Amino acid sequence: MKSPLNLIISREYLQRVRRKSFIITTLLVPILMIGLMVAPALVAMLSTPEAKTIAVIDDTGAIFNRLNDSNEITFESYTQPLDSARANADVEAILAIGKNAVDQPNQSITMYYRGAPTLSTDEYVQQQLKDAIEALRLESYNITNLRQILDEINVDLSYPTVRIDKEEDTGTSSMLSYFISLIMDLMLYTFILIYGQMVMSSIIEEKNNRVLEIVVSSVNPSTLMMGKVLGIGLVAITQILIWGVLISACTMWVVPLVGTSLSSGAGVGVEANAELLAAVSQLSDLGYVASLMSCMLLYFVGGYLFYSAIYAAIGSAVDNIQDASQLSTIPTLPVIIALVASMSVMQNPGSSLAFWLSMIPFTSPMTMMSRIAFDVPIWEIIVSLVILYASFVGMIWLSAKIYRVGIFMYGKKPSFVEIIRWAKYK
Amino acid sequence: MDNIITAEHITKDFIRHRALDDVSVSVPRGKVYGLLGPNGAGKTTLIRIINHITAPDSGSVTFNGHPLSQKDIYNIGYLPEERGLYKKMKVGEQAIFFARLKGLGKAEAEKALRQWFERLDITQWWDKKIEELSKGMAQKVQFIVTVLHEPELLIFDEPFSGFDPINAGILKEEILRLRDKGTTVIFSTHNMESVEELCDEITLINRSHNILSGNVAEVRERFAHNLYTLSFVGNPQSLQAAVEPFVDSFDLGAIDSYGLSQATVRLKDSGAARPFIAAANDSVALSAFNRVIPSMNDIFVSAVKASNEAAGTAPVPQA
Repeated sequence: MKSPLNLIISREYLQRVRRKSFIITTLLVPILMIGLMVAPALVAMLSTPEAKTIAVIDDTGAIFNRLNDSNEITFESYTQPLDSARANADVEAILAIGKNAVDQPNQSITMYYRGAPTLSTDEYVQQQLKDAIEALRLESYNITNLRQILDEINVDLSYPTVRIDKEEDTGTSSMLSYFISLIMDLMLYTFILIYGQMVMSSIIEEKNNRVLEIVVSSVNPSTLMMGKVLGIGLVAITQILIWGVLISACTMWVVPLVGTSLSSGAGVGVEANAELLAAVSQLSDLGYVASLMSCMLLYFVGGYLFYSAIYAAIGSAVDNIQDASQLSTIPTLPVIIALVASMSVMQNPGSSLAFWLSMIPFTSPMTMMSRIAFDVPIWEIIVSLVILYASFVGMIWLSAKIYRVGIFMYGKKPSFVEIIRWAKYK
Repeated sequence: MDNIITAEHITKDFIRHRALDDVSVSVPRGKVYGLLGPNGAGKTTLIRIINHITAPDSGSVTFNGHPLSQKDIYNIGYLPEERGLYKKMKVGEQAIFFARLKGLGKAEAEKALRQWFERLDITQWWDKKIEELSKGMAQKVQFIVTVLHEPELLIFDEPFSGFDPINAGILKEEILRLRDKGTTVIFSTHNMESVEELCDEITLINRSHNILSGNVAEVRERFAHNLYTLSFVGNPQSLQAAVEPFVDSFDLGAIDSYGLSQATVRLKDSGAARPFIAAANDSVALSAFNRVIPSMNDIFVSAVKASNEAAGTAPVPQA
């Protein structure tokens, strides 16, 4: 015989997973995400940029030669006066460079467009002018090898950070830690909001269906609450796993197709390379990654459980979604506070603010996510996990209490004080 | 007598009112037990306490000789007044879910369900979703869900509401059949006719108090008060004078369409019937003489009224 808890979990799980809306969102979201990843590359690939010719009237005689053409933009020297250039409809854009352009570029240079200028053209022309004028100014100092000297002065910093209070010399890449923490925090945040609310509306739905009295005459309300929270949690895990598989599969198949055009724009990441290398080498240290991930997972699950238990309590207290939306700001607030606080905790993971936020169950999952990569003492982790999971059980118990009393309160919106009073009922 | 469930001195308070005040009921095994009372009297609260959905503030509930506990709910089937099933779930699947919640195995539940579905001729609903069924159809499903695990005690809260007369008839037959198989049935209703048809015992709750309990026949007897009706041809005044020594009251009614005069009398005691008939027969031509057994409806109304008057003029508390 299956236990009532398993029955509730499997009903909740199967009913949701079989729903059309679940199947559709589970399939659509990866497609959308892949689309978002690939779309810019595709657009860049498909739209061949329009070639543009800019007529340059260079009164200095020195700048024009230093302007480099790009794929789209060609600079062309124009010897006729400005007025005739403006009158000529074949000329798309005119760059008029006055005599004093090197000394006073802002006063001497004007750009004329036929039609609206595009941002990229504007930026490109500006950069070219800037380089040209800088080079001319440098030359005016008449110092030999100045360019070379400047290049030698330029410092490109990237050095390893190593902890010395540990026996082993594991280098921690703060960049990687920061990155993982941030992703986990944001994931937990979305997870709590989406699936927590799902727990809440599932309970409200049962009240509206009037099915609750039958359920409650068969199982203990705490079992019911626990079953709902766990069942929906499993739905979430299923969805995330499917997303993960689909997205990584799609990335493997689709991205190489457009990869060539993507790599042309990859120069941006070059500065982070040293950090990235450290990060990658650290990722290959499997033991470290495993302990980090398992710890984060414990907080992830704990955070979901605790908050969905709060949502369960809210669902028990009200009987329609409208009333619920007001009360559900109560759990949303600490989630947001925790999210904001984690940003500061990441800057200073050892502070007492970080410590206390890690002990309070409302904030501990998110705070710990952002701290854990910075080697938090093991006792702190244990204490905060115990508090978190104990609070979850307490919260489930409380929501079961509220549920039991809430059954009798159809059609009346309870105040917060009343809900507390219900919890004291037998 | 062997009682399946006994509730003693149950008191339950809600925020602003007392739902039950020192209520005791004993439900004999194998009987149909009616739980009656006006709206808001506390019936549903009592049912929920018996069902282990909520706990009383004070008092005790004994089930099969031991204090009621969570595991006893496997032995209870409950059809709440507020019906409801999962709308998106298929009928068969849903019924199996509820049966398993009540402790049946999957195969066992399915077998029993197939039998019931055939019995009530609804096998074609098995794969339909509840939202595709009419209200009455859904109630039939709900009835099956309630009785499927063959509990010793069945509790029906207003079981006939929402049923057409044919289906209500089928339901009544099923309830009686279950009783004949030894199941105890508690049922709460406002429909006094069905009480007379089905119930062996009743309890009447008004304003959180148990105001009347007992065997239906005995209760009706108790409320009969030696009331008789008679039809006759003759002078009413001479009749009244002739029977004067034997009656407490004499009310003359209208003459009916057959030309018979009607009267309602209350005899001084049940032994007075013979001399009354003799005296009446001498004065007028009697055509009918009947003992008035009050309907449950009359008893309900008069008992509730009397209890309200005794409690003063305060309005009936609302649940």
